[in-house]
Amino acid sequence: MTVTPMTVTPAPASAPVAEGDRAMVELQGVTKRYGEVDALKRVDLTIRKGEFVTLLGPSGSGKSTLLNLIAGMITPSSGRIVIDGRDATTLPTNQRGLGMVFQNYALMPHMTVFENIAFPLQVRHLPKDEIKRKVEQVLDLIQLGHVAGRRPRELSGGQQQRISLARCIVYNPALILMDEPLGALDKNLREQMQLEIKRLHADLGITMLYVTHDQDEALTMSDRIVLMNGGKIEQQGKPDELYFKPATVFSAEFIGSSNLIPGIVEAGGVSGLSLRTAIGTFPVPAADFAVSTGDKAMLLVRPENMTLTGGPGVTSVSGRIDDSILLGGVVRHFVRCKDQSTIIVQELNQPDRPIAKRGDEVRAGWPPAHARLLPPSVPH
Amino acid sequence: MNALFGSSRLSRNLIATAAWLCYVFLLLPSLIVIPISFGNPGQIEFPPRQFTLALYQQFFTDQAWWGSMVQSLLVATVTTMLTLVLAVPAAYALVRSQLPRRNLLRGLFMMPMLVPVIVLGLGLYLQFSNWGLLDTTTGLVLSHIMLTTPFIMVSVMSGLHHSDVSLETVASIMGASRPVIFFRVVLPQLKASIAVGALFAFLMSLDEVVVAYFLTGTKAMTLPVKMYSSIRWELTPVLAAVSTLLTLLSLLIALGIIALQRKTEANP
Repeated sequence: MTVTPMTVTPAPASAPVAEGDRAMVELQGVTKRYGEVDALKRVDLTIRKGEFVTLLGPSGSGKSTLLNLIAGMITPSSGRIVIDGRDATTLPTNQRGLGMVFQNYALMPHMTVFENIAFPLQVRHLPKDEIKRKVEQVLDLIQLGHVAGRRPRELSGGQQQRISLARCIVYNPALILMDEPLGALDKNLREQMQLEIKRLHADLGITMLYVTHDQDEALTMSDRIVLMNGGKIEQQGKPDELYFKPATVFSAEFIGSSNLIPGIVEAGGVSGLSLRTAIGTFPVPAADFAVSTGDKAMLLVRPENMTLTGGPGVTSVSGRIDDSILLGGVVRHFVRCKDQSTIIVQELNQPDRPIAKRGDEVRAGWPPAHARLLPPSVPH
Repeated sequence: MNALFGSSRLSRNLIATAAWLCYVFLLLPSLIVIPISFGNPGQIEFPPRQFTLALYQQFFTDQAWWGSMVQSLLVATVTTMLTLVLAVPAAYALVRSQLPRRNLLRGLFMMPMLVPVIVLGLGLYLQFSNWGLLDTTTGLVLSHIMLTTPFIMVSVMSGLHHSDVSLETVASIMGASRPVIFFRVVLPQLKASIAVGALFAFLMSLDEVVVAYFLTGTKAMTLPVKMYSSIRWELTPVLAAVSTLLTLLSLLIALGIIALQRKTEANP
């Protein structure tokens, strides 16, 4: 499933760099209300030309509402939507110049693969020979030229999803929306398709808005992740920013696994701050939100930043092994602290590592610089 | 089932026998006309003592008989086509749109199925006599459209419930207008349900007798009405031939419906 760089369709790969700052989609204070419930609360979001943006969040967080608003299947209760420089707030769906890939593929069962891909071009009244040329080019691009005459139901799920992707690419829409497109595929195929979609995005410079609840998928594919929670944008940024610098407890818990220890901020430590918790007082790095002594706060340490072996300059807390789980490349220890809370420590697996047993007294440690101070979680 | 009847061979055979007796009881009146239709052209006779096609010859040479058959086929064909034009878009609108009072509208469309046909016949008779539509093909077709609309609508609405809305959504996102979506995305998926509904409608119009009896005289008389009057006034054995032909036609249409329904189940 390798993809050769495309010479045919839309923008050359260098285009997004030049136009990188131009907004393809702009949402300004968009609210969607269903009766008494706000599905979306005053959301502002900009998607730049050529960008791959993922909407990530649990179900009910508003990500599908956002997608449907951009697609024009629903209209906002208030706010403004601009697509490609044009006010599209109330523009009918079929005039927005978008493409969409659905989880269930949504290929026309009564049309062949060729006819399916030709459909958007026929809608645009392109001449017949040009349609034929474009469809063949895009089928070559996804390496499915040999199935042109078949019906969608004769193809595998992965093939169908590539056809539905080709059907978008062929008419060069301003933006391709993807609603959990890989949700129906098995794990291996999903990973393969993630890379293929990423490659098509890089080669063709198409702007993509991808919706998923799968954090791994979001981390793998996106230029930028928009994390949604309760109808609002919780945090947005590059995948590594979201992973290493979560701004809230929700972000920390939704992306990656995390140890969160609540406590009270005190003076002390290298950065001038430390956190007094039920299992000890720990030095913390400088916070990137306003905090003063006496405030409640949360300490975040990722399990993979922790170790049981200790070492110089490591902060640690004592506890007892509750369980140790072998996960292949890594081993995950569940350490029960003296206040009965559990800390997860994840270490790389090595053949000569002594096996931790249930009941072993250990010290779970971390370099203070790898910890992160978060504001206490606020209910939405 | 097992709890009631046990599973012994005897009880199973009893059930099978009872079922077959029911089938025979239901089918016999329809089947008995077949041998009669090949028998004595002089009088109705069962069992027939000779084999001849004389009754069929009589049917096809008598203008009054085959004329009413042509009239019936014409009425059924025109009715079916016009009902399709009316009922398919109506069903689409009722299923897919957010029209206010959708359920009320649906109920109105289903009404002709619930109102007693004899009441409908009387009402139409009174109304059409004011409009000068009595004993006209137009009047008959109009009333048959009323009767067949619910059947096509039910069939198409169930087809729509089984078809995938996201196909229409994706077509719209790809830039297709409403008419393009209706003709190129919706209709092709409804082919089978439309065909089933159309066959039902055709069959209904073809052997509808109550309303046709009210509305037609000598000019627009359909085959069932002709048969009914013939039973009352002359009781000719040609009736057996006509019945056989009608049964055959119904059988063919029913088989067509079954085949279409199988096809839809195989590839939804």
